[in-house]
Amino acid sequence: MSTRREFLTVSIVGATGAVLAPRPAGAAPKSMSVVHESSFIKQFDDFFVKQLAPAYEKQTGIKINYEPVSVGSMLTRLTTIVETKSGPEITATGLNWPWLFDPSLVDVTDIATDTGKKLGGWYETVTDAVVINNKWKALPWGNIGQLEVYRTDWFKEAGVTKFPDNWEDLLTAGRLLKKAGHPFGFELGHGFGDNHGWLYPLLWSYGGREVDKDGKTVLLDSSETAAAVDFCRRFYKETMFEDVLGWTDVNNNKAFFGEQISCTNNASSILVVGKRDFPEIAKVTDHALNPNGPKGRYHMLNPQSHAILTHAQDQAAAKAFVRWLYDDKQLSAWLVAGDAYYAPFLHAYDNHPMWNPEPRYIPYKESLKTSRLPGWPGPASHAMSESVAKYVVVDMFAKACRGDSTKDVIATAVGQLKQIYKAK
Amino acid sequence: MAVGPATIARAAPVVGRRASPRRILEREGAFSWIMLAPGVLFLIAFVAYPFFYGIYLSLQERQVAKAGLFVGLANFVTLFHDGVFWQVSRNTFLYTIVTTVLKLLGGLAMALVMNQTFRGRNLARAFLLLPFIVPTILSTIAWMWIFDPTFSVINWTLVHTGAISKGFSWLGNATLAMVAIIIVNTWRGIPFYGITLLAGLQTISPDLYEAAAIDGATVNQRFWHVTLPIIKPILIIVTMFSIIFTFADFQIVYALTHGGPANATQVFVTYAFDLGMSAGQLGMGAAAALTMLPALILLIIGLTFYLRRE
Repeated sequence: MSTRREFLTVSIVGATGAVLAPRPAGAAPKSMSVVHESSFIKQFDDFFVKQLAPAYEKQTGIKINYEPVSVGSMLTRLTTIVETKSGPEITATGLNWPWLFDPSLVDVTDIATDTGKKLGGWYETVTDAVVINNKWKALPWGNIGQLEVYRTDWFKEAGVTKFPDNWEDLLTAGRLLKKAGHPFGFELGHGFGDNHGWLYPLLWSYGGREVDKDGKTVLLDSSETAAAVDFCRRFYKETMFEDVLGWTDVNNNKAFFGEQISCTNNASSILVVGKRDFPEIAKVTDHALNPNGPKGRYHMLNPQSHAILTHAQDQAAAKAFVRWLYDDKQLSAWLVAGDAYYAPFLHAYDNHPMWNPEPRYIPYKESLKTSRLPGWPGPASHAMSESVAKYVVVDMFAKACRGDSTKDVIATAVGQLKQIYKAK
Repeated sequence: MAVGPATIARAAPVVGRRASPRRILEREGAFSWIMLAPGVLFLIAFVAYPFFYGIYLSLQERQVAKAGLFVGLANFVTLFHDGVFWQVSRNTFLYTIVTTVLKLLGGLAMALVMNQTFRGRNLARAFLLLPFIVPTILSTIAWMWIFDPTFSVINWTLVHTGAISKGFSWLGNATLAMVAIIIVNTWRGIPFYGITLLAGLQTISPDLYEAAAIDGATVNQRFWHVTLPIIKPILIIVTMFSIIFTFADFQIVYALTHGGPANATQVFVTYAFDLGMSAGQLGMGAAAALTMLPALILLIIGLTFYLRRE
């Protein structure tokens, strides 16, 4: 009995001591951590771990840990970090996340300004995502674009030698390909990227808008939106099959490599995986910009950026690392390792050697000028994220495709948007 | 006068004696609390605190990374005016009720079969537990392939046996998507019922069956008048637990359909997750999750009353 109680006493005292032990204050950090969503390009992650982090440690003595998070769960991880004010000092962000986490992110305007001056200036489109109240809250390293991915051999067999330039022509091509046993497959389900990636651009290209620039006036109920919905219904019925209504992001990739579909909307990861695992399919795979609509051509903006969290004990050290990372010497080599998966927002990289090995990726660079955040032209906001999380636009199109009337699906979506944007 | 054992065991406190840690540990009451403390602290930290924090959040307009603003029941009012929320409610009840009935019937059948004596019984019992043992997310990924239009083994079998001419769109059709998640949940949950009910069946004395047989009871009559009344308490408890687990099921729906197509399979938990984590609306997300509470409280009250009566 005595031994047991002595053990208990010692354990409690020991544990308490460990918790309350003093830590050195004001010391330079021995290490810092960077949290990232795992890249589809393994070499991109490897380059950081094997080249960049050791190089920085050699220069400064600060060890940089790289914490990869599985694809699709980065937002959850970042929410946890911000809410608990603990964990990595530097984080990767996407879409409009700098707006969501604005109070928890350090102002990096000085680094952005210097980097812009040195590297030809930033693309204007990206500022919508990372500049908040005139302060840069994140530094973009590249966009993960969503473009058309198609089978050149099947298109040629159907008599389509050049990828169609507008939606109506793509519909015509799709009819021919479906008839030939090669339907299209565009995601209309609840994935996290490949659905928004073509449905928002489709809406915009017909002139439809969720909300006005003021972020309060809901504009969705318009003849332009109705035209986009009507087109989508025809596009689905005449070129696709029912499963796409339930697809998440993995399905179109599987269907493409299962040779079930001839065209989809995706990031360049399809070609990357194709070259590695399906070389015969990769040879007959190509990319194209999203088609033009009556009101223009649009793409999805998904800037991958680095931000520094305010809970970092030594923000100056974190900024010094990020400044070093965005120096041409490091950034340029890292982007090359990324195999052009990330289209950089710095004009100095418009003709970077990273684009040379694989010209089929070039449309991803060309898409930057016409890329917008979901919810555009409304400002990035929590409401914008809520609309995306509730799949308002995706479900509007999906319901029309399953047979609901255009009027009904728009009315439902408008009701949701009015509640989300607190509009009257 | 009768003297209780506690009175004998516990010495009267001596005035003026100092309470040292050793003396405190010598007292059974104090020692018991120290032994209980880890469990209690665990429950407070991981059950009570999140629960009450969830209630606190649900009463606020609380966006991620920002301070909350107390709004009372406004989040609940907003949800009640949200058409998707009512669709989510219907989906959750349908999903829970259908899967519970199927699991109950399947689990009972499984237990009755496993209670018989036959060669390879132990091996069969071990195999039947597999759905429950395999991590949900892994088995759900396997089901994704089973329901995949191109690779579906179900479609392949049905088409090649001539039962249908074209494969079903399991996850693209709203009705079939709900059927799909019900199938997966039922498949995964049946062993829980089966093993628990089997434990109950094994407590039934063979004498009762012999007596019933001598009285001329048929197999059906023995089931209804001997087996069922004896395992009824276990049946009710396991059903209650199953309802609670199914009501709060996340992994199957999230991995298989993510609530699609067009919210046809969206349930409370996945909707709350999307609101809280994807939209950053922590208050609204907490409110959506808490709307499950009334139904679950009724269940717990029902369970408590039943157990007391028994």
